[in-house]
Amino acid sequence: MPKTETFILNMGPQHPSTHGVLQVQLELDGENIVHAKPIMGYLHRGIEKLLESRTYVQGVPYTDRLDYVSSMNNNFGFCRVVEELAGIEVPRRAEYIRVIMAEFNRIASHLIFIGTLAIDLGASTGMLYTFRDREDILDLFNLVCGARMTFHYIRIGGVAADVQPEFVAQAYAFLDKVPHFMEEYNQILSGNEIFTRRLKGVSQLSVEESLAYNMTGPNIRAAGLPYDLRKVDGYSVYPEFSFAVPVGKKGDNWDRYQVRFREIFESAKIIRQALDGLPEGEFMAKIPKVLRPPKGEVYSRTESTRGELGFYIVSDGSTKPYRVHIRRPSFVNMQGLDAMCRGMLIGDSVAAFSSIDPLMGEVDC
Amino acid sequence: MHNGILLTAAGWIRDILTFLFGNELLVNILMTLVGIGAIISVILTSAIVFTYAERKVCAFMQVRIGPNRVGGRFGLLQPVADMLKLMSKEDIIPNGCDRVVWSLSPMLLFVPSALIYSFFPFDDGAILADVNVGLFLLLAISSQAVLPFLMGGYASNSKYAMIGGMRTVAQMLSYEAPMAFSLIGVVMLTGSMKMSAIVEAQATHTWFVLLQPIAFVIYLITATAETNRTPFDLVEDESEIVAGPFTEYSGMRWALFFLAEYANLLSISILTTTLFLGGWHGPVLPGAVWFWLKVLVMIFVFMWFRWTFPRTRIDQMLSFSWKVLLPLALVNMLLTGVGIYLYQSLC
Amino acid sequence: MTDYMSKTRLAELQKEFPAVHYDPEAAQPAVYVPADSLLALLKFLREDESCRFTRLADLTAVDYKDCFEMVYHLFALEDMTWIVVKVKLEHGQPVVPSITPVFPGAEFEEREVYDLMGIDFTGHPDLRRILLADDFIGHPLRKDYVQELPPVVPRIRKGGR
Repeated sequence: MPKTETFILNMGPQHPSTHGVLQVQLELDGENIVHAKPIMGYLHRGIEKLLESRTYVQGVPYTDRLDYVSSMNNNFGFCRVVEELAGIEVPRRAEYIRVIMAEFNRIASHLIFIGTLAIDLGASTGMLYTFRDREDILDLFNLVCGARMTFHYIRIGGVAADVQPEFVAQAYAFLDKVPHFMEEYNQILSGNEIFTRRLKGVSQLSVEESLAYNMTGPNIRAAGLPYDLRKVDGYSVYPEFSFAVPVGKKGDNWDRYQVRFREIFESAKIIRQALDGLPEGEFMAKIPKVLRPPKGEVYSRTESTRGELGFYIVSDGSTKPYRVHIRRPSFVNMQGLDAMCRGMLIGDSVAAFSSIDPLMGEVDC
Repeated sequence: MHNGILLTAAGWIRDILTFLFGNELLVNILMTLVGIGAIISVILTSAIVFTYAERKVCAFMQVRIGPNRVGGRFGLLQPVADMLKLMSKEDIIPNGCDRVVWSLSPMLLFVPSALIYSFFPFDDGAILADVNVGLFLLLAISSQAVLPFLMGGYASNSKYAMIGGMRTVAQMLSYEAPMAFSLIGVVMLTGSMKMSAIVEAQATHTWFVLLQPIAFVIYLITATAETNRTPFDLVEDESEIVAGPFTEYSGMRWALFFLAEYANLLSISILTTTLFLGGWHGPVLPGAVWFWLKVLVMIFVFMWFRWTFPRTRIDQMLSFSWKVLLPLALVNMLLTGVGIYLYQSLC
Repeated sequence: MTDYMSKTRLAELQKEFPAVHYDPEAAQPAVYVPADSLLALLKFLREDESCRFTRLADLTAVDYKDCFEMVYHLFALEDMTWIVVKVKLEHGQPVVPSITPVFPGAEFEEREVYDLMGIDFTGHPDLRRILLADDFIGHPLRKDYVQELPPVVPRIRKGGR
């Protein structure tokens, strides 16, 4: 009997499908994966430490750099915590605009997810289609804040600028296009036999396992638990809108794909309601020139595109936060990678990795 | 009775050579060299044309414009720019690689790809080696392409390349069988493995794509697998194993792999045309024109596959070959046999 | 909508665990627990029928110069309740039991705290640096951390071509 042994394949940090600079140490038995160990930190910038030496207002742009494909959600999360800490009341119009922007960014981020999943499965054409449609959202953001990537649009106390009528018109035009391009993806990706077979029944995680690995966001909803902080916490003005929380059944890659796919429709629904009911009024609260929140600590969380994005801020009463901790959903979700890859093939590891949808800017902070 | 343009041109060249040298043996040798030169130039030209075509077709499918800077609005000189880039690149030799095997691999890969062109009837009578077992030889030679892949993968001293090399063996071996069995249907109908005879049989009856639809589909699928194109491009699977056996190659060595890939694409298209689409036969237009038209359509089909489908997984790919394609090919053989028997006993 | 754990239930909790103490005046009092009974408390909070804090929302540490504080935010899915558990640690050699036996999903976050704050977790399955390089010296999130520029070491390849 010949002796066989496993071997280590270092996927990354320079690898076409690790979505940035992640290294995954695959322990392989032939084509089968025995262990998948994520090794991160290549993009660590010490944002938590940096925030300690910036004032609260200066800190907002740093959150753009966390999850750089859904910066609006990060701005939103950080500003909410600081407002809670300082007791700032945000005008309703600002809240509505924030929700519109966060949901637009959620669509953009999920489009990237679909595109990268497609390209990781070898369907590079699908990726180009999603990026084409994401471009429209970026144009919308460009219109409203002059940036396409790191917006710094949601500020403490409100938003940086009011939305213009042409933005509203373009946003409606985009919402009308959503069902069309989603149907296109259905045809090129979801309807493809190879695509479905690559995803169905692969890398299953049950609700218990997902909870044990502390996963949040679409990853846990795919397992069947309707845990969406927009419903659970009902923060901001989300309780005023009617939307469903898509859940999966088995928690495999296909469910993770489908949950995000259907969330795009739900986000579009929220945006439409918000645009319809956009109240008149101020877009920025009156905040003091020098923001000195009282002594205390707050943990507050929002549903970012990747899961529960929490900010824990300890204030010592000065203009700068004493300690900021960011609970990054991608970072915590990465714990599930090993369980998702175990016993699968090399090809599945790429799909599993893609279906967690981590973003290295957020993982490494 | 042969009257294709290619053959007429060959006749002129032969006349000129006879006039110049006179010696029949020398002229024959020179004519063979001319044939080889013609085939090599076809391969090289096609590689240039297909890189451009692939970029344009891909761009068309991906709602992009494609090359549009070098050489006018349509980027016609893009292949030239690509070629210059590849030639001027540094030839990186990885540390700890098996130098001899490593440098032999790209060259060896090109040999079988080029060799099988001698069995293709490009036009009426324009075939370099019209041997009795043409199809058999063709399959035998094209299956030699496994070895250079494995050599390149083994010699690169890279894990990605090694996995890619191992995958090549698994993939090529398992798709060789259904491909051969699907082509047996064609051979049974023709009663010969001679390439010109297969084309002639399609002229007298009808295109084999109509008589052998199952074989055609099986052949198309296995051909995509044999040329390592999506959905079966597991060998050079860029999202998993970077570029498989080619991972460590750069510059002109990599270009040779690339060249072999396009030579394979062309040869597979030519083979489809010859075996199933009636070869050079067609009304009105000259044979060579028909031949290239059909080949280009087939090439477009293969590019269409590539830019539409995702990639399969290794276990799915292997089980598809052994559990679906091979039994189907065997059933097809049986059906063909029964069909021939019925046809012969009825007519 | 989510609430903080009510005062009455906090009082019951203190009866169960006498080592636990909290500030009854505060609106949302954090529960302080000594390091040695942390695991038992978390296990109780997670598994007892009256609590069911199944989700570890956040885990982090704060450096208060004279001491460290481990902060655990727990959330109960069924009755949507929060509780904050804190552990005060010595500044000299901070050691706290790892909570991975109760919450396996705390693994990466504990590694992060170990990496950036330098708190030791006993019983952690794989306690290594996670964000910083393995040969990094110091723990940057500590308040007394002073960044020193790394010495420039010329890289010489031996026998390289």
